[in-house]
Amino acid sequence: MLEQIARVLFWLCIGEIASRSGLLPLPAPVTGLMLLYAELAIRGKIPEDLGVLADRILQFLGMLFVPAGVGVIAYLDLLKLEFVPILAAVIGGTAITIFITAVVANRFAAATSKADTDVAPEVEEAAGDVKS
Amino acid sequence: MSSLSQHLPHLANLTWATLADKPILETGATVFAFLAAVRLSRVFGNHPLLNPTLLAILFIAIGIEATGVRYETYLRGSDPVHFMLGPAVVLLAVPLFRQTATIRASGRLIAIGLLVGLPVGVLSAVGIAWLLGASPQTILSLAPKSVTAGIAVGVSEQIGGLQNLTIVLVIMTGIAGAVLGPIVTRLARVNDPRVVGLSMGIASHGIGTARALQINEVAGAFASLGMGLNGVLTAMLLPLVLKLFF
Repeated sequence: MLEQIARVLFWLCIGEIASRSGLLPLPAPVTGLMLLYAELAIRGKIPEDLGVLADRILQFLGMLFVPAGVGVIAYLDLLKLEFVPILAAVIGGTAITIFITAVVANRFAAATSKADTDVAPEVEEAAGDVKS
Repeated sequence: MSSLSQHLPHLANLTWATLADKPILETGATVFAFLAAVRLSRVFGNHPLLNPTLLAILFIAIGIEATGVRYETYLRGSDPVHFMLGPAVVLLAVPLFRQTATIRASGRLIAIGLLVGLPVGVLSAVGIAWLLGASPQTILSLAPKSVTAGIAVGVSEQIGGLQNLTIVLVIMTGIAGAVLGPIVTRLARVNDPRVVGLSMGIASHGIGTARALQINEVAGAFASLGMGLNGVLTAMLLPLVLKLFF
């Protein structure tokens, strides 16, 4: 298990070096994610303990955002001048984004899965265009 | 002899004597608050509105207000929890790798999701804020709100927003997406976990991804992908597009 923790921290550290040296304009965890994925792709399988570690930790991923969320409450006062437009933009904008993205992607998925079963793959795209 | 007594106080720094300075209370409170939030949410059938992250934030905030502890004290003390976020995001590579076959088969679906979700995410926030009379700086700070905080901060700086405001908006967006995602996709009658996850990841980054992982691994993997790709694309495109048009 310690090996797997070391593996995760290793890629995170490489990500940190890449971001601090200005090599990649991405946050260290995002780079680390891509590097670990690349390693797994090359290996072709997930070390057993790594799978267990990921499943355990990711189960409470939501908890890890709690300090940041409390930080937001601490700064809520700063927003009070423009509280209504900000709240509307954040809540309304997020709901609209999820709704529109989900509806469009879902129509596409439905159209292509129908195309996969009914017709040849070449006309898949045309079917997608018609349905959406 | 005198050298021995000189060295002893150093040892004291390594023992329980200085636990009072350590972040035990804040970290403990965070874990207990989240555990209580998960239990409470479960009692009400895991209703999306009772999102454990949101509930735990409210519990901690109520605790802070009630006890008069300063927010900075809590924020500094809860650093170990915050630190875990880095390794946890790296670990998202695991569910992502497990779903490689599904992801490969859904390339065009993912492309369509990004093609729609990225511009709608930016324009809906900017548009609503503009209509309601927000200041230009607030509008610019809102533009990268859907992407993960580390990327959003960089984009905000480049386009002339306020970094600290952007962080606050990003976290608010994540919570909004985590709470509303399951409700909105149900309203839209979307059941495909790939689509639900992708939309939530694109619109509400890591916090939305954490929620999508609770639905199932497919939703979680597609949310991670939506978060990652939207982050990278937004970082490349948003400053460029703004420069071209304004």
